[in-house]
Amino acid sequence: MSPQPVALRECVATVPRFRIFIIDSGWNSPAHKVLQENFGLIRELQKDDPIYVLSKEQSIEFMRNHQDRIGREPIIAVHDLAAMGESGTTDFHGFRLHLGLLRTPQQALLALQNFTRFLTTHRQSVDLEAEIRTDLRREGLAGAIEIILHHEAREIGE
Amino acid sequence: MPERWSDYVAILMSALALGYLVYEIDRRRRKLHDVFDVLDADDAHITAGLEAMVSSGELQPYAGATLA
Repeated sequence: MSPQPVALRECVATVPRFRIFIIDSGWNSPAHKVLQENFGLIRELQKDDPIYVLSKEQSIEFMRNHQDRIGREPIIAVHDLAAMGESGTTDFHGFRLHLGLLRTPQQALLALQNFTRFLTTHRQSVDLEAEIRTDLRREGLAGAIEIILHHEAREIGE
Repeated sequence: MPERWSDYVAILMSALALGYLVYEIDRRRRKLHDVFDVLDADDAHITAGLEAMVSSGELQPYAGATLA
């Protein structure tokens, strides 16, 4: 089999797989500051997918319509265009990070780094839902092992 | 049936330890899902709202290098 022409490979690499939304109504929180300080790097690492940043006013209006999410911002929602093309929004169609639930800058930064790594490494995934659920199960299992071994609390979510 | 009180205590302590383990694993699992989870039918209205903002042109891909 002959290798793909360079132009075709570049085209495949740059077709957006995700739409990334950032919703941040501006709480004075560690997560808000971490996102502000690291957005440029995320932007650079995620060049192939469009990022939509809701303004403070748009975010507040959004929260007024989805009050159960208040206090969880900044929220990063990622829509998987491949999944949405197949089944719309009735089933799996992306994933999201409630960054505002993380209380310290270290936790927020680690979560942001993990999230960005996940995005970049799974752009070409054929079955993204299965991979996410596998990762979540692995995290749960790792947490269980840590409890059994009496280790310190894991960074994310504590 | 256990014959000594110490056996009852050992069984009770084991049950408590197991219960704590199950509780702690479940608590962490819930916490993880609170922070990071998939979008599914429960989030459809939120997704639709965001996609509608893109379709209407209210939201454009962010071109800036930093957040304002």
